[in-house]
Amino acid sequence: MSVNQTTKARGVDIGVFRCQVCGQLNDQHDEYCVRCSSAISPRNYRSLQNSWALLITAAILLVPANIYPITTLTKSGIVTHETIFSGILRLVHADLVPIAIIVFTASILVPWLKVLGLAFYLSAISFNIPISRQKLMAGFHIIEWIGRWSMLDLFVISLSVALVSMGQLLDAQPAPAATAFALVIFFTQLAAKTLDTRLLWDQLDKNDDTP
Amino acid sequence: MIISSTKPRKHCNLIVCRGCDLVVSKRALPSGVRAVCPQCHTPLYDRPYCAMNGVLALCITSILLYIPSMLFPVLEIHFLGSIRSSTVFQGAMAVWHQGYWVVGLGVLLGAVIAPAVLLGSIMAQMIIIQTGWYRTKFGRDTLNGLLRYHSFINQMSMLEIYVISFLVTSFQLSDFADVYFGLGTLCFTLLFVVTLFLQREYNLEHMWGYVSESDD
Repeated sequence: MSVNQTTKARGVDIGVFRCQVCGQLNDQHDEYCVRCSSAISPRNYRSLQNSWALLITAAILLVPANIYPITTLTKSGIVTHETIFSGILRLVHADLVPIAIIVFTASILVPWLKVLGLAFYLSAISFNIPISRQKLMAGFHIIEWIGRWSMLDLFVISLSVALVSMGQLLDAQPAPAATAFALVIFFTQLAAKTLDTRLLWDQLDKNDDTP
Repeated sequence: MIISSTKPRKHCNLIVCRGCDLVVSKRALPSGVRAVCPQCHTPLYDRPYCAMNGVLALCITSILLYIPSMLFPVLEIHFLGSIRSSTVFQGAMAVWHQGYWVVGLGVLLGAVIAPAVLLGSIMAQMIIIQTGWYRTKFGRDTLNGLLRYHSFINQMSMLEIYVISFLVTSFQLSDFADVYFGLGTLCFTLLFVVTLFLQREYNLEHMWGYVSESDD
């Protein structure tokens, strides 16, 4: 349910600062929140740069995460290296299409969408690109919510590695892409969490959907 | 705090959106409805209270379920007469010992440490509030510290993803071996369900209310 807004005023316009830690409203003269004693700042301008740095790191790590093998499988003495993508293809060939879809969403679709989506979002703030902010924010909420699901692949790897360890007969081991993939998740989550989304809404009202 | 005796009540019918800094006037909501920001659709607030006894009951249940779900194996495979089983912790340690400690740490944090810290934190908050310790300075500072990290820990805890992951693993391994679920699987799934309800029932804004109440 959407609450009717009374004004189009922002907190800074009427001199009320929201504490980003506990949500308490403070007067603009307060330096520290009256409730939780954390420092109050009207906007965190530095967060944009932090977010860009984290995102670029994640984007660079996305390359090794996808081209290097993520697991090494030994089956009857034959060693095969599997990348994220070939693992999904193997699932499709094994007639496990629903599982393949889950893995595809968690380990390819979500990380790529997250990196591209965040890049788009951050450039909209940095370069003042005229795109509907409502749509950007909806995308941001989805990114924030869905981002954790990439951890699925790592959990699966950890369980497989622990269970399948029978030497030359059948053996699963993690491979270099696993670390890169873990770091991609870490940095993209951090990039989304660091960003002060109010910066987007401070831009001129010209990009609005509604007049 | 010297200045705070009158301030918390000053803006009591106003709310400022976390996502876009829009000022919105607060109004009563029907139960089960969440107010979202009219401009950016970030959740603003939901019901103004939470059932403390319900949260306490769910929290104790979760803690009781946490112990067996970590001790018993979550998956077991039978392959050519040999039986292998793994608990959540062993899974994390298996990748750690292969040299992939980043992955191991991620699994450990998401499935073992964060849920434990989350449950411990909610339990401690409940004890502080129910016993009235939040009126003392020490209790208030502890509550403040716990609440500050609550949403971070809540995001780190990934029980639901782990539940899906042992389904995916069991299908993947069923190609070469027979896969069995154990008592740990049942406990872990129940832990996930109870924690889900706990997170629904828990209300962070209500908990912060105790910190400002102790000011007066």
